[in-house]
Amino acid sequence: MNKSILLPLLTMAVMLWSFTTPSKYEEAMKKQINNVYQANTLDEFQVVINALDRIAQNEDDKWEPLYYAGFGYVMMATRTEDATDKDKLLDQALEKVKAGLNLQPKEDELIVLEGFIHMIRVTVDPATRGQQYSGLSMQALNKALAMDANNPRAMYMLGQMELGTARFFGSDTTAPCEKLQKAVVLFENQKPEGELSPVWGQESAIRAAQACN
Amino acid sequence: MKAIFTILLLLLYAGHVIGQSTITGRVVDEKGVGLPGVNVFLVDTYDGTSTDLEGYFSFKTSEEGNYQLKATFVGYEAMSQEITLPGDNEISVLLKEVINRLDAVVISAGSFSAGEESSREVLKPLDIVTTAGATADIAGALNTLPGTQTVGETGRLFVRGGDGYETRTYIDGMEVLESYSPSAPNTPSRGRFSPFMFKGTSFSTGGYSAEYGQALSSALILNTKDMAAQNRTDLSLMSVGADVSHSQVFGKSSISGKIQYTNLEPYFALISQRINYDKAPEAWDGNMAYRHQIGESGMLKTYANWSSSQLAVYQPQSFTNQEDRFEIDNNYHYLNVSYRDVINPKWSYNTGAAYTSSKEDIQYNDVDIEEQLFGAHVKGVVNFDPDASLSIRTGLEHYYRQHNYNLTEENEIKKNYNQHISTSFIEADYYLSNDLVIRSGVRAETNNLNRQTNVYPRLSVAQQLGEHGQVSLGYGKFSQQAQREYLRVNTNLDEEKATHYIANYQYMTGKRTFRVEGYYKSYNDLVKDGTQGPNNEGQGYATGFDVFWRDNQSVSGLDYWVSYSYIDSERDYRDYPQQATPAFSSTHNLSVVGKYFVQDIKTQIGATYSFASARPFNNPNEEEFNAGRTPAYHDLSVNFSYLYRSNVIIHTSVTNVLGVDNIFGYEYASEPNEEGIYQSQPIKQMAPRFIFLGVFITLAKNKAVNQMPNL
Repeated sequence: MNKSILLPLLTMAVMLWSFTTPSKYEEAMKKQINNVYQANTLDEFQVVINALDRIAQNEDDKWEPLYYAGFGYVMMATRTEDATDKDKLLDQALEKVKAGLNLQPKEDELIVLEGFIHMIRVTVDPATRGQQYSGLSMQALNKALAMDANNPRAMYMLGQMELGTARFFGSDTTAPCEKLQKAVVLFENQKPEGELSPVWGQESAIRAAQACN
Repeated sequence: MKAIFTILLLLLYAGHVIGQSTITGRVVDEKGVGLPGVNVFLVDTYDGTSTDLEGYFSFKTSEEGNYQLKATFVGYEAMSQEITLPGDNEISVLLKEVINRLDAVVISAGSFSAGEESSREVLKPLDIVTTAGATADIAGALNTLPGTQTVGETGRLFVRGGDGYETRTYIDGMEVLESYSPSAPNTPSRGRFSPFMFKGTSFSTGGYSAEYGQALSSALILNTKDMAAQNRTDLSLMSVGADVSHSQVFGKSSISGKIQYTNLEPYFALISQRINYDKAPEAWDGNMAYRHQIGESGMLKTYANWSSSQLAVYQPQSFTNQEDRFEIDNNYHYLNVSYRDVINPKWSYNTGAAYTSSKEDIQYNDVDIEEQLFGAHVKGVVNFDPDASLSIRTGLEHYYRQHNYNLTEENEIKKNYNQHISTSFIEADYYLSNDLVIRSGVRAETNNLNRQTNVYPRLSVAQQLGEHGQVSLGYGKFSQQAQREYLRVNTNLDEEKATHYIANYQYMTGKRTFRVEGYYKSYNDLVKDGTQGPNNEGQGYATGFDVFWRDNQSVSGLDYWVSYSYIDSERDYRDYPQQATPAFSSTHNLSVVGKYFVQDIKTQIGATYSFASARPFNNPNEEEFNAGRTPAYHDLSVNFSYLYRSNVIIHTSVTNVLGVDNIFGYEYASEPNEEGIYQSQPIKQMAPRFIFLGVFITLAKNKAVNQMPNL
């Protein structure tokens, strides 16, 4: 073979390869997103959050590492008993969401996560916090739905919040159950914008919709 | 060709392998203990790892050259150091804990606070209004806390051997004069301020900050709510009246108003009272709150309250077969304006002005008394936080009080005074670590009437013990101007003074709180009636301990607390011939408060049991002063809040369910009868029970909103 064409060919091959393979950022993010979904213990979550923080400090224009770190902190909060510790974790989560919104104010997934944080805040002390934080939560979730009416996570959590309120007051649960069923459909049809887009929540939504009547 | 390919591959591969180095090390805290979960990484690269349970770390990197190795961990100061790669492979990192005011130990000596934010608060704002027996009165709810004494015929807060006047109220840092509504003699009065207005309450039973003065025993610090979150209208229909309130939000400001009408006549017609009212208590109350957010962090708060009330009673005197007629008309205005702002992370300030006007017309048989009181209080405080471990607060205050008193019987007696008190204070909180804080302060006051300047030091320390426990100590000198019935007679009177020493231990875990507090308090310069008029020769002491236990965890849905106070107190003041235990002081006080939400019937049930041991009273037929003892006091009160709809609540409460005929003391005839005996009659409750029924309706866009948090 003619050596003169080998080099250009090789160069082209290398270029093509680097073009089609995911960037270092996406590669690293995919790994950590998988880790955050798989994590179970507080230590495991802390390790993933640290890894996401490392990515974030290197990619200061990306909202995803902040989003998943915030999500990790919320997951840690749900696995924590002590009210003070829970609050601290939720504070950390909110800090991440706010940093993310500074980069990407129109990202509905970040607003959904904010609603999620307020929702967990209620569980610390429903009697005292219920009114304030359930209000804030629903406000955020409605805002997210206004940005993307097909956001399955927003629909699912709003349904949950409304269901909780309805059950508490013993009122009709039809509307919240419809929201949960709609969330299940939205989950089935969800088309993530990219490989790094959030996809969590489907199983919980199906369970909630089945239990709802 | 094959050779070139191999070389190329080798180069690519080698690039990865040859340049890769391993960095290992350990992260420890100041005590040398390994920290787990620390994020260790090379700045501006993806390379890094988390430390293991022992604080060890190890990661690979292919970077070469000079890099910053950084270690970050929540609650610790981030550390970074320059390393050269390859080469620097063994690294040890020491992380220092940062002082975090939110995590740091809090001075709890003498203080009970109720706030929304922190999960460490002993009380929630809700507790004040859901306590059975308190009938949504702030003083009523706080009376279930340790350090207070049940003095049923006044409705006021008596703290640790102190008289009722020794507890002072502050709203948003500003003084309130006449914080209780008028009531007939020996009947309980209610606080003028609705607990629904406040987001935070701090009740101090001693040793409070240098920022608060003119209070001998206790400071009740109330912080009003911030901006209203949404438009809403509330309607209340009650067995004793009705009220309507509305909040409107306009972007960065909100306005809330409330009008209340109270009339006890229908209730008294239905349920007979021991006191014969000529005119049952009737009042119009109004309040308005305006909030305006200015810039990022500025908050302007305006709060106004007015009320107009009338009542008249006939008080029978069994020993003379006569009736005294007592009538009181009161007009009250209170205005409070405050502004706070943060200049930068180190500097912030708050300022305020408050105005009180209270005009009272009293008719006691043929005697006419007209009392007017005007008070103004202005204050400016600057906060300086040079770093996380130090916080300095300093301020200037000025109090003005004008008092006019006209008594008309056969002649007219006029008394009045104008008083100015200028004060300044400085206080510093110094955090030696997250586990140890020292607060020291000093307050100086100059009074124009007695031309004295006094300096009052304050000191407190709190030390964390283990994860859940803490010890705190408090010390301070406190003062309060002489009460106006004395001051108008002798304007030269010194301020009354008290010195507090407090030791507190608190253990808090999850939703359980245990605290025990011991104290010693000495009084001097108390006002005393002398042959030449009032002087400052009175004195006294109070010593004792309080125990508090709250548990919101052991039984699902049940929240309860138990308060016990032991006190030994004597004083020589006012018309006392000698030092004696005052009539308002009972040795043992106990309160048990429980709240239980029954989901099935959507009802919160509350019950409060209060006990107070015998109280002294003076029997002029006996030689010894204040040697008589009343029977012990018992009260069991219950309340029910039923959520009829998500926005409709039906609330009912009954005090003294068991109908115990409590005796608070005895009144004696001023002259002995023919047999030389002073005749007496007991001071009792107006009626065995007080029954309250109310319906509370909320109209708001968000259907989940109701007045539940208020009940």
